[in-house]
Amino acid sequence: MTVLILTCEQDVTADMVVVHLNASGVPVVRLDPADLTGGVALSGEYVHGAFRGHLWSAGRLVGIDSLRSIWVRRPGVPASRVPEPSDWLTEESSQALYGMLRGSGARWMNHPDAARRARHKPWQLRLAQRSGLPVPATLITTFPQAAREFAERFPDLVVKPVSGAHPQEPPRAVPTSRVAPDTDFAAVAFGPTLLQRRVAKRADIRLTVVGDRMLAARKETSPDAHPDDVDVRFAPADLPWRPAEVPTCAADGVRKYLAEAQLAYGAFDFAEDADGTWWFLECNQSGQFGFVEVETGQPIARTIAEWLAEPGPPEGACCGGRSGTTTS
Amino acid sequence: MQPFALNYARPAADLEVSIPYAYDSALQLNVLLDGRIAASDLALLRELGTTTSTAGSKTHFDD
Repeated sequence: MTVLILTCEQDVTADMVVVHLNASGVPVVRLDPADLTGGVALSGEYVHGAFRGHLWSAGRLVGIDSLRSIWVRRPGVPASRVPEPSDWLTEESSQALYGMLRGSGARWMNHPDAARRARHKPWQLRLAQRSGLPVPATLITTFPQAAREFAERFPDLVVKPVSGAHPQEPPRAVPTSRVAPDTDFAAVAFGPTLLQRRVAKRADIRLTVVGDRMLAARKETSPDAHPDDVDVRFAPADLPWRPAEVPTCAADGVRKYLAEAQLAYGAFDFAEDADGTWWFLECNQSGQFGFVEVETGQPIARTIAEWLAEPGPPEGACCGGRSGTTTS
Repeated sequence: MQPFALNYARPAADLEVSIPYAYDSALQLNVLLDGRIAASDLALLRELGTTTSTAGSKTHFDD
Protein backbone atom coordinates (compact mmCIF):
# COMPACT_ATOMS: atom_id res chain seq x y z
CA MET A 1 0.00 0.00 0.00
CA THR A 2 1.35 3.35 -1.08
CA VAL A 3 1.43 6.83 0.40
CA LEU A 4 0.52 9.49 -2.16
CA ILE A 5 2.00 12.93 -1.57
CA LEU A 6 0.62 15.86 -3.52
CA THR A 7 3.12 18.68 -3.42
CA CYS A 8 5.48 20.77 -5.48
CA GLU A 9 9.04 19.73 -6.23
CA GLN A 10 10.69 22.46 -4.18
CA ASP A 11 8.83 21.43 -1.02
CA VAL A 12 11.85 20.38 1.01
CA THR A 13 9.65 20.14 4.10
CA ALA A 14 7.83 17.24 2.45
CA ASP A 15 11.24 15.72 1.86
CA MET A 16 11.66 15.47 5.63
CA VAL A 17 8.68 13.09 5.70
CA VAL A 18 9.68 11.17 2.56
CA VAL A 19 13.02 10.38 4.19
CA HIS A 20 11.23 8.69 7.10
CA LEU A 21 8.84 6.80 4.82
CA ASN A 22 11.78 5.55 2.77
CA ALA A 23 13.57 4.42 5.92
CA SER A 24 10.50 2.41 6.95
CA GLY A 25 10.18 0.83 3.52
CA VAL A 26 6.78 2.38 2.86
CA PRO A 27 6.16 2.94 -0.88
CA VAL A 28 5.68 6.59 -1.82
CA VAL A 29 4.44 8.29 -4.95
CA ARG A 30 5.00 12.02 -4.93
CA LEU A 31 3.55 14.21 -7.63
CA ASP A 32 2.46 17.74 -8.31
CA PRO A 33 -0.99 18.15 -9.88
CA ALA A 34 0.50 21.13 -11.71
CA ASP A 35 2.34 18.58 -13.87
CA LEU A 36 -0.84 17.08 -15.27
CA THR A 37 -0.72 16.33 -18.21
CA GLY A 38 3.03 16.54 -18.66
CA GLY A 39 4.99 14.54 -16.13
CA VAL A 40 1.85 13.22 -14.46
CA ALA A 41 -0.85 11.07 -16.02
CA LEU A 42 -4.03 9.43 -14.79
CA SER A 43 -6.66 6.98 -15.89
CA GLY A 44 -9.75 5.51 -14.31
CA GLU A 45 -12.55 3.32 -15.60
CA TYR A 46 -15.98 2.65 -14.19
CA VAL A 47 -17.08 -0.66 -15.65
CA HIS A 48 -19.36 -3.47 -14.43
CA GLY A 49 -20.06 -1.71 -11.18
CA ALA A 50 -16.43 -1.30 -10.26
CA PHE A 51 -13.79 1.39 -10.43
CA ARG A 52 -10.17 0.86 -11.40
CA GLY A 53 -7.86 3.80 -11.59
CA HIS A 54 -4.21 4.62 -11.51
CA LEU A 55 -1.77 7.47 -11.45
CA TRP A 56 1.57 7.71 -13.16
CA SER A 57 4.45 10.00 -12.32
CA ALA A 58 8.16 9.86 -13.07
CA GLY A 59 8.18 6.18 -13.91
CA ARG A 60 5.96 5.11 -11.01
CA LEU A 61 2.53 3.64 -11.49
CA VAL A 62 0.15 3.27 -8.59
CA GLY A 63 -3.40 1.98 -8.40
CA ILE A 64 -5.80 4.34 -6.71
CA ASP A 65 -7.17 1.43 -4.70
CA SER A 66 -3.60 0.74 -3.59
CA LEU A 67 -3.33 4.01 -1.70
CA ARG A 68 -3.18 3.80 2.06
CA SER A 69 -3.09 7.56 2.58
CA ILE A 70 -3.01 10.86 0.70
CA TRP A 71 -1.04 13.83 2.02
CA VAL A 72 -2.14 17.12 0.49
CA ARG A 73 0.90 19.22 1.29
CA ARG A 74 1.68 22.04 -1.16
CA PRO A 75 0.09 20.92 -4.46
CA GLY A 76 0.26 23.21 -7.44
CA VAL A 77 -2.79 24.26 -9.43
CA PRO A 78 -3.71 21.28 -11.61
CA ALA A 79 -2.34 21.42 -15.16
CA SER A 80 -0.83 24.85 -14.61
CA ARG A 81 2.55 23.87 -16.03
CA VAL A 82 1.39 22.67 -19.42
CA PRO A 83 2.51 24.68 -22.46
CA GLU A 84 -0.96 26.18 -22.88
CA PRO A 85 -2.63 26.34 -19.46
CA SER A 86 -6.23 27.46 -19.16
CA ASP A 87 -8.88 27.73 -16.48
CA TRP A 88 -10.88 25.11 -18.33
CA LEU A 89 -8.02 22.60 -18.41
CA THR A 90 -7.30 23.26 -14.74
CA GLU A 91 -10.91 22.54 -13.83
CA GLU A 92 -10.97 19.41 -15.98
CA SER A 93 -7.73 18.15 -14.44
CA SER A 94 -8.79 19.04 -10.93
CA GLN A 95 -12.09 17.22 -11.29
CA ALA A 96 -10.43 14.17 -12.80
CA LEU A 97 -7.65 13.88 -10.19
CA TYR A 98 -9.39 14.87 -7.01
CA GLY A 99 -12.66 13.32 -8.12
CA MET A 100 -11.06 9.91 -8.53
CA LEU A 101 -9.04 10.24 -5.34
CA ARG A 102 -12.15 11.16 -3.39
CA GLY A 103 -13.55 7.78 -4.40
CA SER A 104 -10.62 5.91 -2.90
CA GLY A 105 -10.71 4.47 0.58
CA ALA A 106 -7.41 6.14 1.51
CA ARG A 107 -7.00 8.24 4.62
CA TRP A 108 -6.49 11.93 3.95
CA MET A 109 -4.25 14.49 5.57
CA ASN A 110 -6.33 16.57 5.06
CA HIS A 111 -9.45 15.82 3.07
CA PRO A 112 -10.04 18.60 0.51
CA ASP A 113 -13.52 19.36 1.81
CA ALA A 114 -12.34 19.68 5.38
CA ALA A 115 -9.31 21.67 4.27
CA ARG A 116 -11.38 24.15 2.28
CA ARG A 117 -13.73 24.79 5.18
CA ALA A 118 -10.90 25.00 7.68
CA ARG A 119 -9.24 27.85 5.80
CA HIS A 120 -12.06 30.22 6.78
CA LYS A 121 -10.76 32.16 9.75
CA PRO A 122 -14.18 33.39 10.90
CA TRP A 123 -15.27 29.74 11.00
CA GLN A 124 -12.12 28.90 12.94
CA LEU A 125 -12.90 31.50 15.57
CA ARG A 126 -16.41 30.17 16.12
CA LEU A 127 -15.26 26.57 16.23
CA ALA A 128 -12.54 27.50 18.73
CA GLN A 129 -15.17 29.13 20.93
CA ARG A 130 -17.38 26.06 20.74
CA SER A 131 -14.37 23.89 21.55
CA GLY A 132 -13.72 25.79 24.74
CA LEU A 133 -10.56 27.55 23.56
CA PRO A 134 -10.15 31.18 24.71
CA VAL A 135 -10.58 33.52 21.73
CA PRO A 136 -9.62 37.21 21.98
CA ALA A 137 -12.54 39.59 21.42
CA THR A 138 -12.84 39.91 17.65
CA LEU A 139 -14.89 41.98 15.22
CA ILE A 140 -15.23 41.41 11.49
CA THR A 141 -17.11 44.24 9.87
CA THR A 142 -17.59 46.61 6.98
CA PHE A 143 -19.27 49.20 9.24
CA PRO A 144 -16.85 51.97 10.28
CA GLN A 145 -19.08 52.87 13.20
CA ALA A 146 -18.99 49.29 14.49
CA ALA A 147 -15.20 49.44 14.33
CA ARG A 148 -15.15 52.73 16.25
CA GLU A 149 -17.41 51.34 18.97
CA PHE A 150 -15.35 48.16 19.19
CA ALA A 151 -12.20 50.27 19.59
CA GLU A 152 -13.86 52.13 22.46
CA ARG A 153 -14.64 48.86 24.21
CA PHE A 154 -11.25 47.31 23.41
CA PRO A 155 -8.78 50.18 23.01
CA ASP A 156 -5.75 48.00 22.28
CA LEU A 157 -6.47 46.32 18.94
CA VAL A 158 -4.70 44.54 16.12
CA VAL A 159 -5.84 44.19 12.52
CA LYS A 160 -5.18 41.19 10.30
CA PRO A 161 -6.48 39.83 6.98
CA VAL A 162 -9.74 37.90 7.25
CA SER A 163 -8.56 35.30 4.74
CA GLY A 164 -4.89 35.11 5.60
CA ALA A 165 -4.19 35.84 1.95
CA HIS A 166 -1.91 38.62 0.82
CA PRO A 167 -2.28 40.96 -2.18
CA GLN A 168 -0.10 40.07 -5.13
CA GLU A 169 -0.35 43.03 -7.50
CA PRO A 170 2.08 44.25 -6.42
CA PRO A 171 3.21 41.55 -3.98
CA ARG A 172 2.63 42.75 -0.44
CA ALA A 173 2.38 41.20 2.99
CA VAL A 174 -0.24 42.21 5.52
CA PRO A 175 1.11 41.26 8.93
CA THR A 176 -0.99 41.33 12.04
CA SER A 177 -0.53 44.96 13.05
CA ARG A 178 -1.33 47.08 16.07
CA VAL A 179 -3.98 49.74 15.54
CA ALA A 180 -3.15 53.18 16.93
CA PRO A 181 -5.67 54.68 19.39
CA ASP A 182 -6.56 57.63 17.15
CA THR A 183 -7.02 55.57 14.01
CA ASP A 184 -9.57 56.64 11.39
CA PHE A 185 -11.81 53.63 10.64
CA ALA A 186 -13.52 55.12 7.57
CA ALA A 187 -11.72 52.68 5.25
CA VAL A 188 -13.41 49.76 6.99
CA ALA A 189 -16.25 50.43 4.55
CA PHE A 190 -14.05 49.39 1.64
CA GLY A 191 -13.38 45.83 2.74
CA PRO A 192 -14.24 43.36 5.52
CA THR A 193 -11.90 44.17 8.38
CA LEU A 194 -10.87 41.87 11.21
CA LEU A 195 -10.07 43.67 14.45
CA GLN A 196 -8.99 41.75 17.51
CA ARG A 197 -8.06 42.61 21.06
CA ARG A 198 -4.29 42.51 21.34
CA VAL A 199 -3.08 39.85 23.73
CA ALA A 200 -0.18 41.12 25.80
CA LYS A 201 1.78 37.97 25.21
CA ARG A 202 4.72 36.55 27.03
CA ALA A 203 5.18 33.86 24.37
CA ASP A 204 4.00 32.62 21.00
CA ILE A 205 2.88 29.02 20.82
CA ARG A 206 2.91 26.82 17.73
CA LEU A 207 1.08 23.58 18.45
CA THR A 208 1.43 21.01 15.69
CA VAL A 209 -1.09 18.21 15.88
CA VAL A 210 -0.73 15.00 13.88
CA GLY A 211 -3.62 12.62 14.44
CA ASP A 212 -3.77 12.41 18.21
CA ARG A 213 -0.15 13.48 18.76
CA MET A 214 0.49 17.03 19.97
CA LEU A 215 3.86 18.70 19.62
CA ALA A 216 4.00 22.18 21.09
CA ALA A 217 6.72 24.75 20.66
CA ARG A 218 7.03 27.99 22.58
CA LYS A 219 8.87 31.15 21.60
CA GLU A 220 9.27 33.50 24.50
CA THR A 221 8.64 37.16 23.89
CA SER A 222 11.76 39.18 24.51
CA PRO A 223 11.51 41.53 27.51
CA ASP A 224 12.76 44.23 25.15
CA ALA A 225 10.10 43.50 22.52
CA HIS A 226 8.12 46.49 21.33
CA PRO A 227 4.34 46.10 21.79
CA ASP A 228 3.94 46.88 18.09
CA ASP A 229 5.85 43.71 17.21
CA VAL A 230 2.69 41.63 17.19
CA ASP A 231 3.29 39.20 14.34
CA VAL A 232 5.94 36.62 15.22
CA ARG A 233 6.61 36.05 11.52
CA PHE A 234 7.86 39.62 11.19
CA ALA A 235 9.29 40.28 14.64
CA PRO A 236 13.03 40.15 15.23
CA ALA A 237 14.00 36.50 15.68
CA ASP A 238 16.00 36.81 18.85
CA LEU A 239 14.70 34.03 21.08
CA PRO A 240 14.41 30.45 19.81
CA TRP A 241 11.48 28.05 19.64
CA ARG A 242 11.62 25.49 22.45
CA PRO A 243 9.53 22.36 23.13
CA ALA A 244 6.63 23.01 25.50
CA GLU A 245 4.03 21.10 27.46
CA VAL A 246 0.40 21.45 26.41
CA PRO A 247 -1.95 22.55 29.21
CA THR A 248 -4.76 20.05 29.72
CA CYS A 249 -7.50 22.58 28.98
CA ALA A 250 -5.82 23.57 25.72
CA ALA A 251 -5.33 19.94 24.74
CA ASP A 252 -8.99 19.19 25.38
CA GLY A 253 -10.10 22.14 23.27
CA VAL A 254 -7.76 21.27 20.44
CA ARG A 255 -9.06 17.69 20.34
CA LYS A 256 -12.63 18.93 20.09
CA TYR A 257 -11.64 21.43 17.41
CA LEU A 258 -9.92 18.87 15.20
CA ALA A 259 -12.67 16.30 15.65
CA GLU A 260 -15.35 18.71 14.50
CA ALA A 261 -13.13 20.11 11.75
CA GLN A 262 -12.37 16.56 10.59
CA LEU A 263 -8.70 17.40 10.28
CA ALA A 264 -5.88 14.91 10.69
CA TYR A 265 -3.31 17.69 10.82
CA GLY A 266 -3.43 21.20 12.21
CA ALA A 267 -0.87 23.83 13.15
CA PHE A 268 -2.36 26.01 15.86
CA ASP A 269 -1.11 29.47 16.75
CA PHE A 270 -1.73 30.71 20.27
CA ALA A 271 -0.61 33.77 22.22
CA GLU A 272 0.29 32.99 25.81
CA ASP A 273 -0.52 35.79 28.23
CA ALA A 274 0.97 36.63 31.62
CA ASP A 275 -1.40 34.21 33.34
CA GLY A 276 -0.28 31.37 31.13
CA THR A 277 -3.55 31.25 29.19
CA TRP A 278 -3.25 30.14 25.59
CA TRP A 279 -5.38 32.45 23.41
CA PHE A 280 -6.44 30.90 20.13
CA LEU A 281 -5.35 32.89 17.09
CA GLU A 282 -5.76 30.46 14.21
CA CYS A 283 -5.33 26.90 12.99
CA ASN A 284 -3.51 26.40 9.72
CA GLN A 285 -4.68 23.12 8.28
CA SER A 286 -1.45 22.78 6.29
CA GLY A 287 0.82 24.94 8.40
CA GLN A 288 4.57 24.75 8.10
CA PHE A 289 6.34 22.52 10.59
CA GLY A 290 9.88 22.26 9.27
CA PHE A 291 11.14 25.35 11.04
CA VAL A 292 9.82 24.03 14.37
CA GLU A 293 11.51 20.67 13.92
CA VAL A 294 14.76 22.31 12.86
CA GLU A 295 14.81 24.51 15.95
CA THR A 296 13.37 22.18 18.59
CA GLY A 297 14.33 18.75 17.36
CA GLN A 298 10.75 17.58 17.84
CA PRO A 299 9.99 14.57 15.63
CA ILE A 300 7.16 16.12 13.64
CA ALA A 301 8.17 14.73 10.25
CA ARG A 302 8.54 11.24 11.70
CA THR A 303 5.13 11.54 13.36
CA ILE A 304 3.55 12.55 10.06
CA ALA A 305 5.28 9.66 8.32
CA GLU A 306 3.98 7.25 10.94
CA TRP A 307 0.43 8.56 10.52
CA LEU A 308 0.64 8.27 6.74
CA ALA A 309 2.09 4.77 6.98
CA GLU A 310 -0.71 3.34 9.08
CA PRO A 311 -2.54 0.55 7.29
CA GLY A 312 -5.03 1.64 4.67
CA PRO A 313 -8.03 -0.11 3.14
CA PRO A 314 -7.74 -3.63 1.73
CA GLU A 315 -5.78 -3.58 -1.45
CA GLY A 316 -7.62 -4.19 -4.69
CA ALA A 317 -6.45 -5.02 -8.15
CA CYS A 318 -4.26 -2.52 -9.93
CA CYS A 319 -5.09 -1.88 -13.52
CA GLY A 320 -2.55 -1.82 -16.29
CA GLY A 321 -1.78 1.14 -18.46
CA ARG A 322 1.14 3.43 -18.98
CA SER A 323 4.37 1.67 -18.25
CA GLY A 324 6.36 2.26 -15.13
CA THR A 325 7.30 0.88 -11.77
CA THR A 326 4.26 -0.34 -9.89
CA THR A 327 4.33 0.54 -6.22
CA SER A 328 2.04 -0.88 -3.66
CA MET B 1 -10.99 53.52 -1.46
CA GLN B 2 -8.27 51.26 -0.09
CA PRO B 3 -9.53 48.63 2.39
CA PHE B 4 -8.53 49.36 5.96
CA ALA B 5 -6.25 46.33 6.38
CA LEU B 6 -4.13 47.38 3.40
CA ASN B 7 -3.08 50.49 5.29
CA TYR B 8 -0.84 48.06 7.14
CA ALA B 9 0.57 46.30 4.09
CA ARG B 10 4.26 46.27 3.42
CA PRO B 11 6.28 45.08 0.43
CA ALA B 12 6.52 41.32 0.42
CA ALA B 13 9.84 40.01 1.62
CA ASP B 14 12.11 38.87 -1.13
CA LEU B 15 11.93 35.13 -0.67
CA GLU B 16 14.20 34.49 -3.60
CA VAL B 17 17.21 32.71 -2.15
CA SER B 18 19.77 30.73 -3.98
CA ILE B 19 18.71 27.13 -3.47
CA PRO B 20 21.70 24.77 -3.48
CA TYR B 21 19.64 21.68 -4.22
CA ALA B 22 17.50 20.31 -7.01
CA TYR B 23 14.62 17.84 -7.19
CA ASP B 24 15.53 14.30 -8.14
CA SER B 25 12.42 12.64 -9.52
CA ALA B 26 13.92 9.16 -9.11
CA LEU B 27 14.49 9.70 -5.40
CA GLN B 28 11.45 11.99 -5.03
CA LEU B 29 13.72 14.18 -2.91
CA ASN B 30 15.74 17.34 -3.27
CA VAL B 31 19.43 16.59 -3.53
CA LEU B 32 22.47 18.78 -2.89
CA LEU B 33 25.22 19.13 -5.47
CA ASP B 34 27.36 16.65 -3.55
CA GLY B 35 24.59 14.06 -3.69
CA ARG B 36 23.39 14.36 -0.10
CA ILE B 37 19.68 14.61 0.72
CA ALA B 38 18.88 18.26 1.40
CA ALA B 39 16.34 17.43 4.11
CA SER B 40 19.02 15.65 6.10
CA ASP B 41 21.03 18.83 6.48
CA LEU B 42 19.05 20.64 9.16
CA ALA B 43 21.69 23.35 9.52
CA LEU B 44 21.25 24.16 5.84
CA LEU B 45 17.46 24.24 6.12
CA ARG B 46 17.74 26.62 9.04
CA GLU B 47 20.10 28.85 7.10
CA LEU B 48 17.92 28.93 4.00
CA GLY B 49 14.64 29.37 5.85
CA THR B 50 12.84 27.30 3.25
CA THR B 51 10.85 25.44 5.88
CA THR B 52 9.85 28.61 7.68
CA SER B 53 6.41 30.00 8.28
CA THR B 54 6.13 33.07 6.09
CA ALA B 55 3.42 35.54 5.30
CA GLY B 56 2.62 36.50 1.76
CA SER B 57 2.87 33.17 0.04
CA LYS B 58 1.85 33.61 -3.56
CA THR B 59 0.40 30.18 -3.94
CA HIS B 60 -0.70 28.95 -0.53
CA PHE B 61 -2.83 30.36 2.25
CA ASP B 62 -1.37 28.29 5.00
CA ASP B 63 1.77 29.07 6.91
